[in-house]
Amino acid sequence: MSDDPEHAARLLRAYQAQEKRFVERRFPLEFAPEVPVLRELYSQGKGLHWNPETDIAWDRLDPSRYDKPTREAASRTWSRRAWSVYPGLTESTALLIRFCLESGSLGMDAKLFLSFRPAEEAKHLEVCHMLAERFGGYATDPGEPGLARGSNHAFGQAALDGDLPVEAYVAALGALDDQLDLNLYLSHLQQAKDEIVRAALRLIACDRARHVAFAWAFLGSRLPSLDARGRAAVAAAVSDMLANVILAGYRNTWLLPEKSREPWLSAEAETARAGLGASSAAQERSVLRATIAQVRERLAAWKLDLPRAQHAELGAV
Amino acid sequence: MLIDKERTGAYVLESRYPLPLASAMPDVWDLWRRAKTLEWDPQTDIPWEELHPERYPAEQLLAAQMYWSRRTWGEYGAISESPALLLRFCLERQLPDLQFFFTMRTMEEGRHAEASWLMAERLGRYFPQPQNPPTAGAVGTHGVRRMAFDPETSLEGIFASLVCAAEEILIDVFKATVHKATNPAVRRLMELILRDEVRHIAFGWQCLDAWAPSFTQETVRNIEAAVTTMIENVEFRGYRNLWLAIEGGSATPAEIDADRISCEAGLGGNTPEDEMRVFPEFLRKIRKRMAPWGVNLPMFDHPRLGKV
Repeated sequence: MSDDPEHAARLLRAYQAQEKRFVERRFPLEFAPEVPVLRELYSQGKGLHWNPETDIAWDRLDPSRYDKPTREAASRTWSRRAWSVYPGLTESTALLIRFCLESGSLGMDAKLFLSFRPAEEAKHLEVCHMLAERFGGYATDPGEPGLARGSNHAFGQAALDGDLPVEAYVAALGALDDQLDLNLYLSHLQQAKDEIVRAALRLIACDRARHVAFAWAFLGSRLPSLDARGRAAVAAAVSDMLANVILAGYRNTWLLPEKSREPWLSAEAETARAGLGASSAAQERSVLRATIAQVRERLAAWKLDLPRAQHAELGAV
Repeated sequence: MLIDKERTGAYVLESRYPLPLASAMPDVWDLWRRAKTLEWDPQTDIPWEELHPERYPAEQLLAAQMYWSRRTWGEYGAISESPALLLRFCLERQLPDLQFFFTMRTMEEGRHAEASWLMAERLGRYFPQPQNPPTAGAVGTHGVRRMAFDPETSLEGIFASLVCAAEEILIDVFKATVHKATNPAVRRLMELILRDEVRHIAFGWQCLDAWAPSFTQETVRNIEAAVTTMIENVEFRGYRNLWLAIEGGSATPAEIDADRISCEAGLGGNTPEDEMRVFPEFLRKIRKRMAPWGVNLPMFDHPRLGKV
């Protein structure tokens, strides 16, 4: 239970106020597929389910093969990754509720898909926790205000914000942030040498690939009929996400304010060197640039412009 | 757009750290572990080829279609409403066991909704709404989302009303009638739903048992009020079974009778006689189960069940 019940109550009231702004029209309650590709992604989610405890050969993970500093680095890296996975529990749940509040007759494909996503996020969280524990211990707290702040955003509330079109939310969180997250996992997978870490990364990446595909498929089903105001909101949300969240170090430690990067950045470098599930800062830089280019090109297919964002170190991206 | 409201304080930021992830309630953690080993797919794990709707007369098919459509609407509530409880667990920083388990519950309820819809469809037709819109009030919502977001509504009360009352009676009726489902596809679906729901109910009781030593008088009163509301305003309004609705509302005779006809055809559902037998027993059971917490549930008057 919260050590600050007053703050928890404030949070609940904020969600309560947002929920009350919607008038749910549950009937007619349609279940038939309307966007077959989204229904297919839901079906894949059912068929590709896995169990972190039994589908990873934990007994073959041998942390003693690595020296103590490497193990400590890996436990830090996987702890940080757990913190970055955790918000997915609230965000995907809030988005599910948003779809339900908006309409009973529309969006069942998305609702069914999203009914699965929190459990998938929880499995990823469990894997991160298990890896951190096995390499020396999961850290419950960054202990560094800059990192704590940079990894904590109110995206769950944004999902329930009636002023923010759901398309804008999915574009910012799904098409940009989830895409970057997936591409980083793929990079970590390419660098990883430990077979158990590779298995864990591959399983997580498989789910995340579906999450990203959901975002693009959903946008493909909605954007062509979105009005000018909605389209502007989509472009603005993606731009905001890039400039104020991604480039502020939400996913990448090397983008955090300099005083907030350690010991996490060194830990990631060492984890990458040992092949235990990370990428070097240089590799991540390439992934980030490639992802932004990829997202910009795809949005352009719908005639949506993602303006360049300025960053002190990276320049215009 | 995304960040402005955060900066201006219109969104309230969570205080997320420390973020413990290790199990602190082994029994609940065990439910999360079991749920991961028991996943199933409505499309592939039900012997649909044994459904044979062509073997049933039109009246029975219509009743079964109505019954499974209605079940779909009820299961949808667990997608639309009760996931708000997961948000509450996270925002209140409840133990990780609760958070992990509830993610699986949301997934399982989505599966139940899909499976119930598929059953109605494959029996010939899914009805997307009640025949007369006013019944939507009775079947539409149990109000759990609103309760979950309300800090004045105790979590204990929500658990007791949603899990230990609404889900418990649903499963008691399922358990008491699954043997009547002679159709192999229907029976398998009921068994699979039952297997998941048993975990959902265990979760509620385990949490409340664990918290019971710290219950205050106010907690106990909250539980009593919440369960009473669930019985009187949800169950007795026909949320689960229209036959139980004290005020018939605008449900049609065909809708009210659908459960019985479907049940007698072996296609799922239950009869008024089943309700007469199971509902009082359910109330006796939860009264006894909650008594050690100091909870005293009142007797309920029902025109057909009598004083229960």
